[in-house]
Amino acid sequence: MENNKSTRLQRGKSGLSGISRRTFIKLTALAGVAAAVTRFFSRPALGSAVFSPELPGGDGVITEKWVPTSCLNCATRCATRVRVVNGRAVKVTGNPLSKVSEGENCARVNVGLQVLYDPARITTPLKRTNPAKGRGINPGWTEISWERALHEVGERLKALRENGQPERLLLLYGLNTVSDEDIFRRFAAAYGTPNLVSADGLNNEADKAGEWMADGHYTQSAYDLERTNYILSFGANILESYKPLARGLRMWGKIRRERPNRAKVVVVDPRYSVTALKADRWVPINPGTDAALAMAIAHVIISEGLYDSDFVSKWTAGFDEYKKLAIDYYAPEAVAATTGIPADTIRQLAREFATTKPAIAWRGRGATSWPNGSYTGYAIFCLNALVGSIDAPGGVIYQEDPPYHPLPEIAEDDTSRKGKSRPALDFRKTGSFPVAEVVTNRVADSILESQPYPVEMAIGFNGNFNMSAPGAGRWDEALGKVPYYVHVAPFISEMAEYADIILPSTVFMESWAYEHSPPGSGFAEVRLKQPAVTPLYDTKSTIDIIFNMAGRLGGTVERSFAGIGDGAGGFVKYRTADLASWDRLVEQGVWVGPDYKYYKYDRIFDTPSGKFEFRSGNLEALLKEKGEEIDNLTGLPYYREAEFLGDHGDYPLVLTTYQPLLNIENGSQNYPWAQEVFLVMHGAGWTNFAEINRRTARSLDIKDGDMVWVESQFNKIKAKARVFEGIHPGVVGIATGQGHYAGGEWDRGIGVNPNEIIGVDYDRLSGQSALFNTRVRVYKA
Amino acid sequence: MTRWGMVIDLDKCTGCQSCSVACKAENNVPYGSPEEHEKRQTPFWHKVIAVSNGEYPTVRIDLIPMPCMHCDDAPCVTVCPAKATYRREDGIVIQDFRRCIGCKYCIVACPYGARSFNYKEPEDEEYHRPDPPPERADRGIWPFPHRVHGVVEKCTFCFHRIDQAIKEGKKVGEEVLPACAEACPAHAIAFGDLDDPESQVARLLASRQWLRLREEMGTSPKVFYLPK
Repeated sequence: MENNKSTRLQRGKSGLSGISRRTFIKLTALAGVAAAVTRFFSRPALGSAVFSPELPGGDGVITEKWVPTSCLNCATRCATRVRVVNGRAVKVTGNPLSKVSEGENCARVNVGLQVLYDPARITTPLKRTNPAKGRGINPGWTEISWERALHEVGERLKALRENGQPERLLLLYGLNTVSDEDIFRRFAAAYGTPNLVSADGLNNEADKAGEWMADGHYTQSAYDLERTNYILSFGANILESYKPLARGLRMWGKIRRERPNRAKVVVVDPRYSVTALKADRWVPINPGTDAALAMAIAHVIISEGLYDSDFVSKWTAGFDEYKKLAIDYYAPEAVAATTGIPADTIRQLAREFATTKPAIAWRGRGATSWPNGSYTGYAIFCLNALVGSIDAPGGVIYQEDPPYHPLPEIAEDDTSRKGKSRPALDFRKTGSFPVAEVVTNRVADSILESQPYPVEMAIGFNGNFNMSAPGAGRWDEALGKVPYYVHVAPFISEMAEYADIILPSTVFMESWAYEHSPPGSGFAEVRLKQPAVTPLYDTKSTIDIIFNMAGRLGGTVERSFAGIGDGAGGFVKYRTADLASWDRLVEQGVWVGPDYKYYKYDRIFDTPSGKFEFRSGNLEALLKEKGEEIDNLTGLPYYREAEFLGDHGDYPLVLTTYQPLLNIENGSQNYPWAQEVFLVMHGAGWTNFAEINRRTARSLDIKDGDMVWVESQFNKIKAKARVFEGIHPGVVGIATGQGHYAGGEWDRGIGVNPNEIIGVDYDRLSGQSALFNTRVRVYKA
Repeated sequence: MTRWGMVIDLDKCTGCQSCSVACKAENNVPYGSPEEHEKRQTPFWHKVIAVSNGEYPTVRIDLIPMPCMHCDDAPCVTVCPAKATYRREDGIVIQDFRRCIGCKYCIVACPYGARSFNYKEPEDEEYHRPDPPPERADRGIWPFPHRVHGVVEKCTFCFHRIDQAIKEGKKVGEEVLPACAEACPAHAIAFGDLDDPESQVARLLASRQWLRLREEMGTSPKVFYLPK
């Protein structure tokens, strides 16, 4: 059935754009023969082996250009240059003007070519004819014109607003450009819905809350990688998935062998990641116990007097309570059994970390995506303050925002004001998730329970929550229940299958945008996206689609979009007007801000005390405001035993997931270059595995390559077992990115999606999904 | 006498595989499929391999980027009955598709698994791509815009880039690199003239302990590795 759908999609198009890529190539190959014959006689000097199949006019007219633009295969959004020959993009390299990654990229940039020329792309707006929605149900797509599609969507949007229920519009988005995200925020505010939901709640929020508790910045941390001498990573996969990735890769080379002193790297992780492999030391830890280790390291540093007393006394608050907690409860001997790390090793790590300056304690998803993840992040982050690595060279730095041209105030009316005053669907900033800015995964349950009110209409921009959210199946039910769902993306995905209307958007080599990386460099850098090729199909950029919708809505919504450019190109020009001349931006593709300045202690701490806080005044104040009870421990970083989903007896193993570098983050994996080298550690492609420690596998009578069931109390998946030395005996590891069932021919039916069996749980403060506390059992299939 | 060689620093390498993917894009190497992967028939001119040693928790896995080693004493050259594989004067071992008879002796002879047989049917050639003629290309023309069915293929050290750079008087190893070296974000791959003591590769080899793969085979590879 899936097959039929895909074939139909490709065949059911009109004109040239309806030809599948394969067919297109066949045609051009034929044309090439003709050209070659002409060429052979007219220009014999070139040699018979050399001819170009796609020459316009066939008489040797060739255009070659390099277009500075940027990538969007992950949130790093690297600056790139695309080589375009006769209108076809053939190669992608870095842009040397970019300083964040010093002009370098990762393996994903060239995969961008396959994102552009992906045969599973949607070539024209589609309308659903089958009212039944569900997994495996053919939506019965039929083509409609842009005018009809946008008219239909516009009318729905208008009706909802006229009914005075703008909050019943839900906007969901995955990986989009920074300019798209700015436009989403503006549209949500002008329309009047509080329900703008990003995918951040699946990955990053506990990290952000951890830093906020200490210094008031709700953000992922930037680390001055280039100048550091010691990295202690708690579950941060710096070389595979941490952002900005290309910066991490570039600086890795630099800190290892391009300076007189080689930085040392230690990775604490239950799984031997590529980062652990490339580090100087791998320290396997019992899953979910990173906070205990961090506090024990603090214990050693404080009790042995190794901390930076100057920084601590001048620029921190709450040290005495923190010290007492660490000294009284977290001796290395006391946490050795909890963490599975011998006390001697903990002492050694602590001493190295405190005496090899400057040092970074780096918290990653592996440590913080747990029910108590914010506290774990806080505990790890505090180690940086102990050794004076705050806003100092080689330590934690504070990312500067690019000076985009400010947007005018939006125009409001009673409807928008009222809509936005309603509680959000994801219960952010409520008693359930007091600190949260977005609780992505909660939205599926809110839709199903119609709480706090039903969703009438949803628009999804380039996301794929039906794959990427834990408890993935709930999103199937939830989107099936939404009366009207519009999906905006360049290709068919699991989430797109629930749409009533699909609006095909351009991919990043076809459209205008501006970008910057997640925190990392300290200094600001902006990159332009500009069309390297003319759009291949009948598609529109996301920004243009939203401008169009705003125009159809009229009134204050339309007015909110007036005077900020009249579409993607104009909007990008408007927002980047203060950076450099437009011509220069277009020519260079990159704008780099002034050098980073360190030691801004008198103004960087956004806390009640104006200092770095080992006892979080921010958190205590917020909880008091929400009327919650506070005790002596509430504001301090502490370890609490993780609550697991599933009983230890029935489900003896803990499921962990990881994101390999070649997991493309746009929600598809339909890219052969990424697929065929997907798991570098296993020398394997076109699959993923259930990785099991050899001893565990032997006790379960499982051999390498056996098909096994991995079963949680929620669901089970059948995966190929990989007997692996690089994994904690109590843990099963599965890579994310595979298990697609509705994509294209190169990702459908390949591997498994661990999110199908992970339970739904959250970090209590930030609302981030807990990803690693599901217990499973594994047995032969 | 110029002798091109490569030095790969495994301490700087991040295992990101930018090299392998850039090679595919640069050299128009066809991608495989799950079925070809299963049969080990996917063509790669460059691949990162994993070598595992030890047991949990003292496991050690090495990730080794593997281009062709361009051996000075290349077994593939010796065994080729059609003289399709030969060693250029500058040391690059090259494959003439028009002479290759597809017997695969060289694949068997190569101790590094660096060679691939192109099983693709001509109609599967997804990557016909336009390339400018030499006088217009800033990187040198890529010599095989069309794949050839039924021949053996392998890494060329991106000789098209090197030849073009020499023609234009550019410095190979500094201004112009093979695609894998150019794409490496960690700057772990150096390329240059092994016989020039001033070249970066020569200086790197003088500065650190180095090793070559399967030294005991007596192939004298020109790809060197700097261990951690």
